[in-house]
Amino acid sequence: MNAFISVQNLKKSFNNTEVFRDFSIDVEQGKITAIFGPNGSGKSTLLNILSGITTKDGGQFEIENFNHFGFSYIFQNYRESLLPWRTNFENVALPLEIQKKSKQEIKKKVEELQKLFEFKFDWENYPYELSGGQQQILAFMRALVTSPKVLFIDEPFSALDYENNLRLREHLQKYYLKYTPTILLITHNIEEAVHLAEKIVVFSQRPTKVLEVIENPLSYPRTVQSLKAEQFHQVKDKVLSAFQKVTNL
Amino acid sequence: MRKYTIIGPILLILIWDVASQLQLVDKFFLPDPFTVIKKLVELIGSGAILGDLIFTLERVVLSFFIALAIGLPLGLFLGGSEKIYRSVEFIIDFFRSTPATALFPLFLLVFGITDKSKIAVAAFAAMLIIIFNTAYGVMHAKKSRILAAQIMGATKVQIFRWILFWESLPQTFIGLRSAISLSLVIIVVTEMFIGTTSGLGRKIIDSQITYEIPAMYATILMTGIVGYLLNLLFLEAEKRFLHWCRE
Repeated sequence: MNAFISVQNLKKSFNNTEVFRDFSIDVEQGKITAIFGPNGSGKSTLLNILSGITTKDGGQFEIENFNHFGFSYIFQNYRESLLPWRTNFENVALPLEIQKKSKQEIKKKVEELQKLFEFKFDWENYPYELSGGQQQILAFMRALVTSPKVLFIDEPFSALDYENNLRLREHLQKYYLKYTPTILLITHNIEEAVHLAEKIVVFSQRPTKVLEVIENPLSYPRTVQSLKAEQFHQVKDKVLSAFQKVTNL
Repeated sequence: MRKYTIIGPILLILIWDVASQLQLVDKFFLPDPFTVIKKLVELIGSGAILGDLIFTLERVVLSFFIALAIGLPLGLFLGGSEKIYRSVEFIIDFFRSTPATALFPLFLLVFGITDKSKIAVAAFAAMLIIIFNTAYGVMHAKKSRILAAQIMGATKVQIFRWILFWESLPQTFIGLRSAISLSLVIIVVTEMFIGTTSGLGRKIIDSQITYEIPAMYATILMTGIVGYLLNLLFLEAEKRFLHWCRE
């Protein structure tokens, strides 16, 4: 297996709460991997350690050719990461401005992405004029505008109603098929995990271990129709069974 | 809700009028409001007060811009590092707590009995307020936005320019508004002392000494109006410029 992100014997505690003790995981290149696990099992902590926000207490990890310009992270509290003094367009353009891209290049990139998303933003307006769901889509576009090779997504769809949730999943797949980035996705929703991911990693309770990795052979793009397929339910049941074991439900 | 603001001035004039009609205070020391307003209109009409008004405004504006030019960059810089800010916090807080007018004699010694000493002391006090507020604005910026930019690979300069500066603006504006008000207070007070022949402060003292009581009240009223309008101007600018802070 081509391990693109590898974590070995990771250790991390917060005040006497041990989250990771000798935690290891490998993530394949160019795949969508979903992380599913109970509350407090360190899903967000793992992403934060990998992206350098949180320091580890021990162990090693590596992301191949890691580079901030080829990496995006969509936070759970996306609302607080948008800049209210910038217009919607300027918000999406921010990471490209950071990379010192020219105005034409930025415009081209944003238009390209907008086509993919089929979403009409009033670019001259400000994020605080958008609904929570629209803000989330804006945060998504901001993360994808740089065509990142590695993408971390933490609870991305929680603010969306079901319809927009399904739409955003469709757009994310379109984007994925076009650019095949390596995606790590945290979610609390089994349907979301199985819909999007090729591998679903189920975490145990603290101290966290990888309890099970469930393969999802369904081919992309996975439509709403795929959600009704027999195979979809089989995979979903497997994930649920693993989760049952973790939570004693 | 805007229309309710008119009640304030009407109430003030009413209370004032009742107090003087009932002769609660000697009429000589507190003329009725209409006499004072008439006097003010007369002073403005004849241009007698305009020279003083312009002198005072000039000094206030000048001291404010000096305070802004030094205070804003310094505040941004100090706020950029909590270690640096904490190291000089005492100096800022000490002088911020010292009444600026108490320092006026010191400024007179340094700058001489000229306009410079008035402007300098007002600029000094206003600058401390701007530094304090700007630095706090920077220090208390939301971490989530800075983090997001760091992850995008932003340099320190980019984070400062595109995030920290903007994050600090609401607090900075509060500083600017307090600074201009304080500037006016100090300028008017210092005008009452030696070395000036112009300004609203001078006019108030002169009218008092010569017992031109209506002129004194008219000038006090003028000073109040100037202060109020300056505050209003900054509030309007704030509303327009900090569009994202509106509810």
